[in-house]
Amino acid sequence: MVLLGKIALGFGATVLMAGAYTFHEGVIRVDVDESHGNGSHVHVWAPAALVPMAIHFVPRRQLERAGDRAAEFMPLVHSVAKELQKYPEAELVDVRDGAEHVHIRTHNGVLLIDAEEPGQTVHVACPLETIDDVSRELAEFAPGA
Amino acid sequence: MINHTRRVFPVIAFLAAACLFGPLGIQAQTSSSQSSTSSQGEKWLHVRVISTDSKGETVRVNVPLELAEKVLPAIDHDRFHGGKVRIGCMDCDGVDVRTLFEAVRGAKDGQFVTVQSKNADISVAKKDGQFLVHVHDKDKPKFSQVEVKVPMKVVEALLSGGKDELDIVAGLHALASQNDVELVSVKDEDNTIRVWMDSKNVAD
Repeated sequence: MVLLGKIALGFGATVLMAGAYTFHEGVIRVDVDESHGNGSHVHVWAPAALVPMAIHFVPRRQLERAGDRAAEFMPLVHSVAKELQKYPEAELVDVRDGAEHVHIRTHNGVLLIDAEEPGQTVHVACPLETIDDVSRELAEFAPGA
Repeated sequence: MINHTRRVFPVIAFLAAACLFGPLGIQAQTSSSQSSTSSQGEKWLHVRVISTDSKGETVRVNVPLELAEKVLPAIDHDRFHGGKVRIGCMDCDGVDVRTLFEAVRGAKDGQFVTVQSKNADISVAKKDGQFLVHVHDKDKPKFSQVEVKVPMKVVEALLSGGKDELDIVAGLHALASQNDVELVSVKDEDNTIRVWMDSKNVAD
């Protein structure tokens, strides 16, 4: 009984620690909702800490292709993500035009993009640190990096 | 032993919970302590467009100058390269803008251009280190008023690049060293446009 308790305790603590590490960088969230006809609903939630790790398991050829396609923009994305980390709380862009609304801001070091128009809403949340990490990883596979 | 386990478990659970939620707590504290005034003299460039038409379009853009200075050199697209934009009309209709500006820079404060007509009033002046342009368009059925105020140091920095280019990064760097300033103000019956710089990280 005591041994079982110890095992349960060890397992529980390990799970908690693993959970703490997994979520310490926050969560990447992508929500796309189309309310018209056969509109699609996409909801993706992923621990941000796992993304840079997951890149190491992507086949090199795929990464090279992604790096090649994103080569033009990666220095810009990397630069923006790196600099935005200095502004964890900032209202950057807010555009309203009738029923359309685009809002880009940072909150708690997370880049939040909300876009709404009649029949469609898109919400994206991604920790700036993760964008920085991923852009750095991809830049290594970009030609001329 | 069971008692020992019972005593230790809450401690481990607490530590794990602290690890899990600790960073969030720290971030929350950081965010709550941040006010609308940015720290250590950070300068923000604000753009606000408010339209009073039926749609009521509004645009609010807030950009930290330091961020813009760091990010712009990373853009390499079309006429924009290395924080400089290549423009083809520096020699506009035979008027060498650079030489014209050099002349204005060396001149004392004063009103250099004054046009008053039935259609519009235009004035270009230099005062207290500021380059001022005022346009009051009376021709349209709807009036419009444009005020541009740019510190001379910023204009100098903008023109510090090559012959046919504006050095945007140098301009922003020079702007960051200035006090709060309203750079552009456009008002007509339907729209209000403001571009200004201050130390607040949110627009009003």
